[in-house]
Amino acid sequence: MAAVTGSAQTRFSRRTDGSSFRDWASEAFEAALLMATLDRADVDTLIVASESDFFTLQLNPAAILAGDLGLVGVATMRVEGGGASGQLAVHAAAQAIASGQARHVAVIGVDPSASQLPAATIKLLYGYSFDAWTDGMTGTSATALYALSYQAFAARIGLPDKCLDQIALQNRANAMLNPNAHLPRQHKMAEIADSPLIASPYRRLHCSPLSDGAAAIILSHPDALPGARGSAPRITGIGAASDHAQLGARQDTGTFTAKRKAMQRACQQAGIGPADIDVAEVYDAYAGAQLQALNVLGLSETLQADLDAQHFAPEGRLPINLSGGLLGQGAPVGATGVAQTATCALLLEGRYHPELQPKRPLRHALADTHGGVCTTAAVTLLSQADAK
Amino acid sequence: MISYELALPYSLEPGWLAPYVEALQKGRAMGRSCSKCGSVSFPPQRRCQCGSGEAQWVRLSGKASVLLRTHGSDGTFGLVQFEGATNKAVTRLEGFASEITDGHLIAPPSDVPALILAPSKSRSTP
Ligand SMILES: [Zn+2]
Repeated sequence: MAAVTGSAQTRFSRRTDGSSFRDWASEAFEAALLMATLDRADVDTLIVASESDFFTLQLNPAAILAGDLGLVGVATMRVEGGGASGQLAVHAAAQAIASGQARHVAVIGVDPSASQLPAATIKLLYGYSFDAWTDGMTGTSATALYALSYQAFAARIGLPDKCLDQIALQNRANAMLNPNAHLPRQHKMAEIADSPLIASPYRRLHCSPLSDGAAAIILSHPDALPGARGSAPRITGIGAASDHAQLGARQDTGTFTAKRKAMQRACQQAGIGPADIDVAEVYDAYAGAQLQALNVLGLSETLQADLDAQHFAPEGRLPINLSGGLLGQGAPVGATGVAQTATCALLLEGRYHPELQPKRPLRHALADTHGGVCTTAAVTLLSQADAK
Repeated sequence: MISYELALPYSLEPGWLAPYVEALQKGRAMGRSCSKCGSVSFPPQRRCQCGSGEAQWVRLSGKASVLLRTHGSDGTFGLVQFEGATNKAVTRLEGFASEITDGHLIAPPSDVPALILAPSKSRSTP
């Protein structure tokens, strides 16, 4: 099983400092390599997650970054699966290690989602991503499709809109203690409920921001661990699954079926179940998506009661999105899944931001990512090296 | 900063969706009827949920009922059920008052195959 020997990310924000995504990728990679106590000559594979060359204006960004990072000669590829791109890249790296083809894989997730194109252009591009020929030509937006899916879910479970406010409030409050976060905010409930309506029930503050930034992890073969990193957390389970890209083609509009399948596959590989998870980074592109995820991941069967009891707060029984999630930490799309996995690895090692690091020991962590309205799901389970 | 503008004039061929696209530009609904199980999909699905790829094109009434709707600065959209279709569709809703659920497909204002629903005059509406 692959060990996460290095984990790092840049600040997520809207960059206005003249830096480019190539600078952020380099910053994250160097920090991860340093933590891994490896030299760049040890890296034999580079996997880059970037959602779209519309964002980067760079077909084949892995080749460009290999040059910038002093890795020319290694095997390179880009992995793309919408919002799941970063987590799918982690999966590709874990598979490269498991196959024995690679010893040390650098995974870099990066996107200039905030600063390189106008937000309206990105919204337009996203609108085409569900099915350009049908939903796309109709002019739907990601927010509208997420809203329809959430409505079906909330009606089935019987959730009031207040739950959306609670998620946004908690995630942005967590982000207050994360120095890398894009939107650290101490919201008032009324502020969220009064923010502009984008696609009912979603208001502006129920939506994650577009961010700039990068994240990097180094995955190492268990037979090739540097001496200082023998206890690095292991990736014990990976699971991915897909659903119809068109919301209308799904049997159940409100259920993230692909995520449920991905979780089952990851749990089967890891030999653990949802009840074993101590901490999780859950995909919250929209506040309701986190609720839909908690349900199908098997992490909560009584959502409203669990929210009201603060079960998912930093001091609760299952802290969710300590980083702030996409809502609070931000979303440079390709970096998202890599940052989630990096966060989980750092939490397991007790090396996360001190004010967010739980006091109790953590055994198992979950990183959950998806693309589309959970069209492409990717779940990764991480455990302590000696967990089994 | 390097400011750079890129225009991308696409020429998308509809491919297997050609009957759907051509009909939709006139405001008509062409769906696919599975040769094996008889399920009709609109918007059309290339392969039926039963697994069969054999299908004929069939004209639907274009009438639909709105199951869910969302509105806000992104526009007004609905998850709708077209009469005679097994699957659902996401459409733009034009001029729907909140109590109206019955609509019909209309021709899009430009050549793109947009799914747009306008309210139908309903006897049940007071
Ligand atoms: Zn069939």
